[in-house]
Amino acid sequence: MEVFWYLIVSSILFAIGVYGLITKRNIIRMLLSAEVIFNAALLTFLSLASLDAAYGAMGGAIVIIAISLSAAEVGVIVSIAIMMFRMRKTLDVYELRKFKG
Amino acid sequence: MSLWSNPITMIFLLSSTLSIIAAIFIVYHKSIVYSAFFLSMLGVGNAILFALLGFPIISLFHLSVYVGAAVTFILFSVAMLKEAPSVEPPIKALAVLSVIILTIILIKVLSPFSAEPSFFLNYRELTSLLVTKYWFALIVAAMALMTALIGAITIARREV
Repeated sequence: MEVFWYLIVSSILFAIGVYGLITKRNIIRMLLSAEVIFNAALLTFLSLASLDAAYGAMGGAIVIIAISLSAAEVGVIVSIAIMMFRMRKTLDVYELRKFKG
Repeated sequence: MSLWSNPITMIFLLSSTLSIIAAIFIVYHKSIVYSAFFLSMLGVGNAILFALLGFPIISLFHLSVYVGAAVTFILFSVAMLKEAPSVEPPIKALAVLSVIILTIILIKVLSPFSAEPSFFLNYRELTSLLVTKYWFALIVAAMALMTALIGAITIARREV
């Protein structure tokens, strides 16, 4: 399979994630859409890294660090959501404006 | 005919279809718990695609760390929260239009890259690169994970 088809799949995934991010107001749903975008970005990165043997291992190393950092990011956002749900009893991101200092 | 009898093409078609359908369900499913479940399906489909590209170690890492830890964490956290229907902003037509334009631009930008993937990731090469060239990024990632752990515990334990 040519790399072009992988890039098309990642473009479609990216578009679906952007659609979800634009149209939803629930914080968990926005997080899930952002994770779809993250998966699309990983697929694009590895597809382009696999084109050249000189950059393949570098792409793999960066993707490993990105995946482990995404685990940290998910933990932080989910704890913010749980905290917000405890304080406001809602997951609507528009409520976050009231948290401004 | 030869295109369809090629096993790599078949696996690519199956996993990419799984990924795209899972992504659509993540955005559209009514229940957030099922959306989080479909995120794990997206992770599995993406891991198969990584393996097809010649990165089997990244694929295993994605399965174990991303699907096994991050998505399961979202799933169990979401199961604790009560689902409240929130108002969706009325910009669906605008969103669809912008997404279509975005997809066309992305495909146009990425279309010159049409070669076969010519790489197979070597475990020894990857680990030596991680500990020699990217050692600082590795330490920063470890510290970020530790900070996230401490922050999550602090936020979860604080009495409101």
